[in-house]
Amino acid sequence: MSGLRKQMLLNHLQKVQEVLGESSGSESEEQDSLGELPTLNGKPGLGHSALEVDETMPKEEIVNWNKFFTEKKMVNIADRAHNFNYYYSLPKNNNDRSIPIYIFHHGAGSSGLTFANLTKELYARMNEECGCFSFDARGHGETTSTLPVKKIRTIKYDRDAFVNDFKAFISYIYDMYLISYPKEKLSIILVGHSLGGSICTFTLTHIRSDIRKRVLGVAMFDIVEEVAIQALQKVQHFLYSTPNQFPSYKEAVDWHVSNGLSHLQSSAEISIPALFQKVKDGGVVRRTDLRMFSPYWDTWFTGLSHHFVTLATCKLLILAGNDNLDRELIIGQMQGKYQLVVFQDSGHFLQEDAPKKCALTLIDFWKRNDNKNVVIKSNWGLK
Amino acid sequence: MDMDMDMDVPMQDAMSEQLTPTINEDSNTTNDNNNNNENINNDNDNSTNNNNNNDEEDYQDIDFKPGSSGIADNKSSKPLELNSSNINQLDVWIEKLSKCEILSEDDISRLCKMAVDVLQFEDNVQPVNVPVTICGDVHGQFHDLMELFKIGGPCPDTNYLFMGDYVDRGYYSVETVSFLVAMKVRYPHRITILRGNHESRQITQVYGFYDECLRKYGSANVWKMFTDLFDYFPITALVDNKIFCLHGGLSPMIETIDQVRELNRIQEVPHEGPMCDLLWSDPDDRGGWGISPRGAGFTFGQDISEQFNHTNDLTLVARAHQLVMEGYAWSHQQNVVTIFSAPNYCYRCGNQAAIMEVDENNNRQFLQYDPSVRPGEPTVSRKTPDYFL
Repeated sequence: MSGLRKQMLLNHLQKVQEVLGESSGSESEEQDSLGELPTLNGKPGLGHSALEVDETMPKEEIVNWNKFFTEKKMVNIADRAHNFNYYYSLPKNNNDRSIPIYIFHHGAGSSGLTFANLTKELYARMNEECGCFSFDARGHGETTSTLPVKKIRTIKYDRDAFVNDFKAFISYIYDMYLISYPKEKLSIILVGHSLGGSICTFTLTHIRSDIRKRVLGVAMFDIVEEVAIQALQKVQHFLYSTPNQFPSYKEAVDWHVSNGLSHLQSSAEISIPALFQKVKDGGVVRRTDLRMFSPYWDTWFTGLSHHFVTLATCKLLILAGNDNLDRELIIGQMQGKYQLVVFQDSGHFLQEDAPKKCALTLIDFWKRNDNKNVVIKSNWGLK
Repeated sequence: MDMDMDMDVPMQDAMSEQLTPTINEDSNTTNDNNNNNENINNDNDNSTNNNNNNDEEDYQDIDFKPGSSGIADNKSSKPLELNSSNINQLDVWIEKLSKCEILSEDDISRLCKMAVDVLQFEDNVQPVNVPVTICGDVHGQFHDLMELFKIGGPCPDTNYLFMGDYVDRGYYSVETVSFLVAMKVRYPHRITILRGNHESRQITQVYGFYDECLRKYGSANVWKMFTDLFDYFPITALVDNKIFCLHGGLSPMIETIDQVRELNRIQEVPHEGPMCDLLWSDPDDRGGWGISPRGAGFTFGQDISEQFNHTNDLTLVARAHQLVMEGYAWSHQQNVVTIFSAPNYCYRCGNQAAIMEVDENNNRQFLQYDPSVRPGEPTVSRKTPDYFL
């Protein structure tokens, strides 16, 4: 067992080093081939105006969103100057005392469909008695700016911009969908991956007060402030070694899987194509250029750990790999301020790599912390 | 630089944990959309504590099953009797361990077998006499443990009671737990070692002890021996019938100390229930029982502590489990004290550590201390992932 495990670790390490271009040989190769890859540098809001997108291309090679969510809609939130694309599944019946509503926020460079497989798991395991909402944040997926082209460059991608979008989105779905359920039964859980975790944490205190009362907790997936800030220093290299164009969706999926960025094929097939769009030559091009966010990186994570630990709600942190906590999070954990779970066998995209475990953990988090469900049994005073 | 060697240790640790392969979720990597849930082993696991989901796969391996190390296969029917030969043996081991050198795998096996024959005869509520010095979490910070014995006085001249969490997070879990177990076997009436929530197969696979054993011994055998031994550790102690000592805190299912005596403790720390609570719960400012934010155990208020101490004729509940910046902290109007004995926890929290001396007259005194100063101190140095997205 241990020998096998060790060998698997070594193989995996080698693979990761190749992806990162850390082994001496592969680095130069990576950079050589980079010259041929068209990058999308310097085109904020790209895709919908800047590139020749061919929407008429057949799409049968992509797994459809409707295998994971029941609806896909677009909403124009005028205040936020964006048309937000979102996916959702509503709770089927409301006989239970508590209805968990999971509202997701993806990380930078990802899309609402990163939570597709997780939603499917949650929905199935809950017998469709839960709600799931997942949107494309600004600059991502099929969400588009409503600003005129010449003003596209003024769009901000700092934390406040994402927080205000999320807050507006939550208000919208509450008034549009959740209002029709008995409000005392609603147990809203904000779930954010990576940057999305930071957005969830900082959004909570800004949510409209009638909705805030219905929020049970916040779950962050694989985000640690100190580690994220350190990683920003290396991110340019990561971006340069990650191609932005592939001949087809399938090859985009295969590349992400074979390079260890996605560990579960069934998740990659829905999440990766969402990051790309067809162009005239038949190839696919990445929708989001992370480099356009670089002026805002330093706003994304600052103060996150302290804010998370002191947030007055139930809190769950799931990390991938190991418990790589910073000082604030360690002290918080050792003082019992939040629940920490580690998925050792998952990559950064927990919701894609380990959707079943994520679903179990989120259901358990709801069950355990919801005072509509829980009566603490005690035998004190019985004798 | 003299730091270099030590710095390699945590780096390697981090990498090997980071790269644990995916096993579970790959069961449906094909294109077929038939999501046959019956095939997934987590499906039957609706237990409350999901810290452990990913251990399912390990438990399918027979070698990871409790008891597989064999250290308890030939348990004695009476407590271990020390003779000159095993005393010599233990003294040699203690000498070696006190220099922060590990024992061989064979010696660990011998040590654990002897320890089973000491610990299996201890009670769930192990009686302890005064004077005694009560200590909290150590977490593999071996050099700070040596500092603790300098501050508190050497064992066996001073009696010690440790309230669990010897392993994980620090870089010397193997040396720390080996040393304490060897001392326990050598001086069984001078030192008491309780079980903490980290003395568990599932927790140690995530927080470092498992990987440290792999790294230092090249296999999981030593980890199996120690985790099998942990099942025998007593879970609470009663100092002079007045101070109830345990790792975590109170349980809504345990109103009297006699109810602790009724538990079957020789098992892996359960996900819920009274034994879990004793190792996981925390005192809280809110009254009554509360759901613990940790995901296991409960929170208990001052009303609960007062009632427990009154019912059981106690003066104090002493416990560890929570990091407190001064090393100790009173709560519930001195009905509960928290003691934490790992200074600068994880080499970066900046906290003091403390131990509590209880003298013959039940007077209490706290001794605080800072991290031991030594060359080559492992500086905090952790891997940076390739992503931030």
